[in-house]
Amino acid sequence: MIKSGRGLLALAACIAILTLTHAPASAERDFTELEDQPGFVPSEVDEQLPPQFQRQMVLYRTTEPPGTIIVHTSERFLYLVQGNGRAMRYGIGVGREGFQWQGLLKITRKQEWPDWTPPSEMIARQPYLPRFMAGGPGNPMGARALYLGTTVYRIHGTNQPHTIGSAVSSGCFRLVNNDVIDLFERVPVGTKVVVRQRPEL
Amino acid sequence: MQKTFRSGLAIGLAVAVAVIAAAWTYIRYDANTLRKVRARGELLCGVNTGLPGFSNPDAQGNWTGFDVDFCRAIAAAIFDDPTKVKFVPLDASERFKELRDRKVDVLSRNSTWNLSRELGFGLHFAAVSYYDGQGFMVRRSKNAESALELDGSKVCFQTGTTTQRNLADYFRSNNMKYQETSFDRLEDVVKAYDSGQCDVVTSDVSQLYAQRLRLANPRDHVILADVISKDPLAPVVRHKDDDWLLLVKWTFFAMLNAEELGITSSNIDEAMKSTKPEVMRFVGTEGTYGEDMRLTKDWAARIIRHVGNYAEVYERNLGAESPLGIPRGLNQLWNAGGIQYAPPIL
Repeated sequence: MIKSGRGLLALAACIAILTLTHAPASAERDFTELEDQPGFVPSEVDEQLPPQFQRQMVLYRTTEPPGTIIVHTSERFLYLVQGNGRAMRYGIGVGREGFQWQGLLKITRKQEWPDWTPPSEMIARQPYLPRFMAGGPGNPMGARALYLGTTVYRIHGTNQPHTIGSAVSSGCFRLVNNDVIDLFERVPVGTKVVVRQRPEL
Repeated sequence: MQKTFRSGLAIGLAVAVAVIAAAWTYIRYDANTLRKVRARGELLCGVNTGLPGFSNPDAQGNWTGFDVDFCRAIAAAIFDDPTKVKFVPLDASERFKELRDRKVDVLSRNSTWNLSRELGFGLHFAAVSYYDGQGFMVRRSKNAESALELDGSKVCFQTGTTTQRNLADYFRSNNMKYQETSFDRLEDVVKAYDSGQCDVVTSDVSQLYAQRLRLANPRDHVILADVISKDPLAPVVRHKDDDWLLLVKWTFFAMLNAEELGITSSNIDEAMKSTKPEVMRFVGTEGTYGEDMRLTKDWAARIIRHVGNYAEVYERNLGAESPLGIPRGLNQLWNAGGIQYAPPIL
């Protein structure tokens, strides 16, 4: 399902060097911190998102059945289809590289407060990172993780809420912890996840 | 005698033919809006005198807004220069008459498309640029996710509009009860809501977002996703100028198609080099669609370069980059959750 090679190399991990690229003007946000901050525990104020990225019910017409997750990477939104022409919309941060494909996956596993084991590619780039970090507040994986297919891609939380709305990680989709907890409660293992990209020129 | 009569008849006929020909030429010329715009060197665009997000003049007389940008797009297609527009602020009551009387070339003034107007004024609405409709604003603390949860609410609205009828229809057809409180002025509606006199405000969705900015704590209020009436806003042109209608219509479709193709004002140069057939037809590196419209090959590229695609114009004026922050909703592309749908070039 996923083209290997460049993609797999680039993603290596869900969280990597935070380099802002190619965010649409509407979604672009300033960065004060450019790298992962393991151990950083965001405050409630940090977790307050700009209005458009706050979780909200929106009008959304689709032929996908209720319960399906649809990710629009270029808009930085994740939709959970509710049926009757509406969907719950979440603001997300998306992969800078590695997630250049689009298509269909399924949620294969759900994990509360996931551990973090940065892969060797990431350690090479950011040698100061821990080799392992147990799940909990301050963990870059955030409060919940939804594993996508057999890939290393995940929908997960974050301890850096200010990265919502940007293309920063090498792979996954990140939500603020409140939102990923909300989504986690709403979807079971087996949920369909449709990923959409901006068309290529 | 016979001869005189014949020559008189001939002269008479010649004069008649000349007069008819002159009148016909004049009508043809007068009805040719594109030619007149070209000769004038600028587009005359009828806009709202001032409506947040849609049409706003600043102190220096610079106009911005969603409706304003649409006229800039037409100017970009014709002149390769989005500044060649003269904005003519028009009141609601005079707008269609001013268009019919040729005071403006196009009306881009949050006007709802309906049959009665097309018939009554001899006009065409070109394409729906913004799907508006009646919606609801409630306190965030109410945690409502749908208008169907508003049973038993106290609802405030402005009198003298179709709002009241739509409200009654919606609640009745969904077996819900409500108490109504109405005011003549929208400001009073908002005040009453803010002071807690009612727990729901209903009005057009674009209005609700504008009015929310006036509340003491805008963040404490949400506009529900439900839209219960049809108010399709569209640019308007006169009857009997097909070429102009075509140009106005396809200017809008170009902005939508650009969004669908992923073409933006920031990657338009890249798009000019694309080898993807759809993109090539759009930017004019394939086909002669521009010339056939009596424009240039790159007419659509000009629109995107100078003004942007639909999403850019929307977000800048009404969406996330504007104070209004109206989600795309119905105005999202057809393949991304909404109903905005443009025919393709080929």
